[in-house]
Order: sequence, then C-alpha cells, then structure tokens
Amino acid sequence: MTYCIHLLNLPLFILIYLSGNNKLKILRTYFHILSILIQDVDFSLKARSMKLSTASLLNRSLSEQQLSIITRFLFGISLILIIALSYSYNEINEELVNYSKKVSQTQQVIGNLNRLSSVVYETSYSANSYIFLKDTVYVNKTLAANKKISKITRSIDSLISDNGPQNKRLIFLKAHADKFSDHIRRLARPATVVNPGAVTALYRKKNLETDSIVKLIGEMNNVEDQLLYTRVQSRDNYMKQVYQYNWIIMLVAIVFLSSAFVLLDRELRRNKFYRIDLENKIENLNRSNSELEQFAYVASHDLQEPLRKIRSFSDRLVSRHRTEVPEEVFQALVKIDNSAQRMQHLINDLLSFSRIVRIGTNPKLVSLGTVMNDAKSNLSEMITENKASISSETLPSIEGYNSQLVQLFQNLLSNSIKYHRENVRPVIRITHRLVEGRLIPGTKPSQQDIVFHQIKFADNGIGFKKEFADKIFIIFKRLHARTEFSGTGIGLAICKRVVSNHNGYIFAESTEGEGSNFYIYLPSESLLT
Amino acid sequence: MADDDADDRFLVKAAFEDNNLTNTLLFFEDGEQLVQYFTSNENLNLPHMVLLDLNMPKRDGKEVLKVIRKDNRWDNVPVIIFSTSNAPDDIFVSYQLGANCYIVKPSNYEDLKELIFNVHNFWLGNKATPY
Repeated sequence: MTYCIHLLNLPLFILIYLSGNNKLKILRTYFHILSILIQDVDFSLKARSMKLSTASLLNRSLSEQQLSIITRFLFGISLILIIALSYSYNEINEELVNYSKKVSQTQQVIGNLNRLSSVVYETSYSANSYIFLKDTVYVNKTLAANKKISKITRSIDSLISDNGPQNKRLIFLKAHADKFSDHIRRLARPATVVNPGAVTALYRKKNLETDSIVKLIGEMNNVEDQLLYTRVQSRDNYMKQVYQYNWIIMLVAIVFLSSAFVLLDRELRRNKFYRIDLENKIENLNRSNSELEQFAYVASHDLQEPLRKIRSFSDRLVSRHRTEVPEEVFQALVKIDNSAQRMQHLINDLLSFSRIVRIGTNPKLVSLGTVMNDAKSNLSEMITENKASISSETLPSIEGYNSQLVQLFQNLLSNSIKYHRENVRPVIRITHRLVEGRLIPGTKPSQQDIVFHQIKFADNGIGFKKEFADKIFIIFKRLHARTEFSGTGIGLAICKRVVSNHNGYIFAESTEGEGSNFYIYLPSESLLT
Repeated sequence: MADDDADDRFLVKAAFEDNNLTNTLLFFEDGEQLVQYFTSNENLNLPHMVLLDLNMPKRDGKEVLKVIRKDNRWDNVPVIIFSTSNAPDDIFVSYQLGANCYIVKPSNYEDLKELIFNVHNFWLGNKATPY
C-alpha cells in the first residue's frame, strides 16, 4: 500500500514541476493539497503497520470536518480542472486542424505555381519549336499548353483569396500570363510564321512576358515558402501541446481517481472498525444487562430469604417470650427487627428499580391525562390525608410504557406531598408546553431538532438547595435524616430511569423553603424501538 | 407442605400450633418427594390442601404443579403457592399452571401466624374441599 502511495506521489511531483513551467498556479496548489492528503493517508497506514490496532486507525491527523471540506474542495477542483483542460484541449485541437489545412493549402499553392512555371516553359518551348521548325504539329501542342495557363491561374486564385499581397501579385501575374497567351496565340497562327518581322517582334514580347511571369512566380514562391515555414511551425507547436494536454488530462484523472479510491478505501476500512467496535459494545451491554437481571433475581430471592428468617425468629421470640426476657434483650430484638426491616425495604426498592431498567413490554400510545388520573387514584389516601390540591392542564398522549409513566407521576406527586411545609396545604400545579430539543440542556446531537413535551410539576413544598439539584436523582441519595422523613431514596432515581427509558430528560430546580419545580421532557415523536 | 427450607417448615408448623390448629401436617423436603408421595401410594389419603414452595431442588414448584394438574386422580387438590418471590412472572405462570392461590411468604412471624389462621379458615374451615 505504501509503495502504491509513493508511486502515486511520483506523477504528482512531475506534475507539480510541469505545472510550474506552464505557470498554471491553480494546478500547482491542487497538486500540493493532494500530496499532503496522500501523505496523511500514508502516515496513518504507516502507523497501522507499526502497531495493528483499531485505535491507531481511528486516529487521524485531520478531523472529520476538515477531511470532508478538503474532499469536497478536491472534487470540485478536479472537476473544474478536467472540464477546463478538456475545453482548452478542444480549442487547441481546432487550431491544429486549422493550421494543418492552411499548410496543405500553401503546399497546393506552391505546387500550382511550379506547375504554372513549367507550363509556361512548355508553351514557350512548343512555340519556339514551331517558329524555327515550321512544323504544324507544334501548333496544337502550343495551344493545348497555352490553355492550361489560365486554368492554373484560376485555381491559384481560389487558393490565395485570403492573402492580400499575394493576390496583388497574382493580378500582375494574370495580366502577364494573359499577354503571354495572347502573344503565343498570335505566334501560332500560320499567317504570322510567314512574316519574319512580326515573328521577331512577337518572339521578343513573349520572352519579356515569360521573364516577368517567372520573376513573379519566384516572388510568390518565396512568400509561400515563408508562409509554409511559419505554418508548419505553428502546427507542430500545437501538435506538441495536444500531446502534452493529453498527458495532463490523463494524469489529473488518474490522480483524482486514485485519491478518491484511497479515501474511499480508508473510509470503508474505518467504517468496518467502527462496526466491529459497536458490535463489541452491544455485546458487552447485553451481557451486563443479563447480569443485572440475574442480580435482580438474587436480590429478590436469595438475599431476602435470610432476612425474612431473622425477622420471623426474632419476632417469634418476642411474641412467645415477651414476659420472660429482660427489657434490654427485648430492645435489642426490636432493633434487630427494625434493621432487618429496613434492609428488606432497601432490597425491595433496588429490585423495583432493576425491574424498571428491564423494559420487557412493547411501547403503546399512552394518554398522560389518564396516567395522571391513575397516579392520583393510587395516591388518593395520601392526598386526602394531607388535603393536597393537584391541578393539571390537559396533557398530551405519547408513545411509552404505561405502568412506568404511572410510577413516574406517582413518585413525583408523592414526593411533593411528602415534602410539604409544616402547616401549609400542599399545592401541586402541572403544566404542559412544547419545547424544541436544542433548548434543553444536555440533549444529544441527534435530538436537537426534535420537539419535546415539557411537563412541569410545581409545588409549594420545603424545596432544597441548588447544589442538590442533580444529587436527588441518585439512587438511595437522601437529603434528610430518616427520622425526619421516611423512605429509602429510590423514588426520584426511578423517575430518572423511567424518563431515560423514554429517551427524555428530567431536571429539578428549587428555592429552599418556597417549593420546587420538576421538569420532564419527553420526545413528541416516538424514538422507542 | 413442600419446602426445602427447614426453618420455613418449622415456622409454618409453629404457626399451626400457636393458632391451636390440629390438622395433620405432612412435610416434604423437595418437589420430588411430594410427587413420589402422590404416585407411589395406591390408596392414599389425598391432602385437603398443598402448600407449595416454588424454588426447590430436584423438582421445583412449577414442575410439581404441572404433575399434579396432569393426573386426573388428584388434579382437583387445592394447591397454594407459598413462595418468597413476588416477581410478576412467577405469579403469572403459577396461576397459568393451575395454582388456586399465590401467597408471598410474610416477612415476620406475627403476619405468618395470622396468614396461616386465615388460610386455614378459608380453605379448610368449612370442609368444602374435594377430599
């Protein structure tokens, strides 16, 4: 793998060098970033090969967010680069085709000019032969060659119509060629041959025209040669560029694809490790859950058994031998019974708490109004005894576990009634409103956008100091001596458990001596599975 | 009564005595012994009532209950489950298997005495049992 990365790096450095020459700065930065990224991958791979552990792979020198930004940036740049390169490649290709055409055009012009000069010589030669040998065979030859002249000049005309100076020369050339043809035609007449004076005059004129034509052709040839030279040079230049662009595009594509492959491969590998990690954690969780269940059973049965015996026998001693035992022994027996009883309560509470941890049933749509009524009727004795007043707004329905929610409301209500101020009638007000997840302190990131039901229990009880707001939810945590208020301190721990079973939150705030508020947040859309 | 715990057997016996109840009491140390008692005797006197603990070695209370309810020679004997457990599962299964009553063992002697008195009154007092 490392070897592959070095192989990948090599064309990168070549490209950085090449792009430096071409002054393509974007290209250069792009390749720099790419090589940094690849070194990052390289580094993590090296770290892995040194020590094959999950931790080192999960450790990255770039954060998730940085990586995502860089990946997007690279992808965008690569795309733009490939499009831009393809576009300019196309442009260059067009130029190349254009210049190739021009080169062949120039070559045609040169060819035609050469043909013209040879035709002129041929005509001239045939005419001369006729004049000196008086053989009429040469008349036809002369006229046939003469006809070709105008044809060639016309084709040259169509080839160099885009070139001004050459056009001008061609006009001269045409004029001379016309005169030349005219002289030839007149020379080739049988009537002229018999008149030596006319022949001599025409012969001289024809030779003059020939000279001018040859001179013009030479000039034009020179110009066309020059043109050919520059055009061939441009064409070769473009050809070279096309060749370069081909390579650059290919390399960019290769670099882009292979870096995408490396990143993807790395993410997939990391993903696999995360999955294994998660599976391990789930397995541990299941194990600890089943251990907890076993513990609950042990607590319910085996731990209670000896306690029951202690109580039963000490009780029996008291009831049967009350009159015989001394007072001191009797008091000791009562204390034994009290302690055993207290331990029994603790075990029972622990058991009910662990039963709540284990959910078991399926969630159903539960009306919190009905839950509130159930809780109130369960507490009816306590409510009438303390003359408590409970007023509640209309409460919503949520997906949840009915018996747990009854327990939650019941615990909160009984708590408020239990901790009332002396000689003050307990008043509990329950209100409901909707709150967005991000406004609740300590929500998980995935719950930020969920709407929660806030149910507030406000009482006028004794309250507690601010610093205990979190502690009161801890199992067996109490703020008062047992002689002041009875109980083991399980009530609010169960409340917290019920609320977290429903993926919700519970908070308390209070002013000592004035009352406390308990806030329950339950998600409005079910998150239970 | 079938219970593996000698103390519990003693306490139940004491509760009967302290209530001045003179019924014949038979004790078994595990479920297997109770089942043997039922199956080995050809012309046995079927009990008026069985007090059955759930958590016992060899055969636990639920298995014994199944055996008792399967055989039509004694499937109508009243069976009272008498267990320490107050787990909803245990209670539910016991009734499903055909227990007549489920009583959680009380945690002090006074309560036990009262309970035995009440059970006696309810199940044995009016002699309206099948045997």
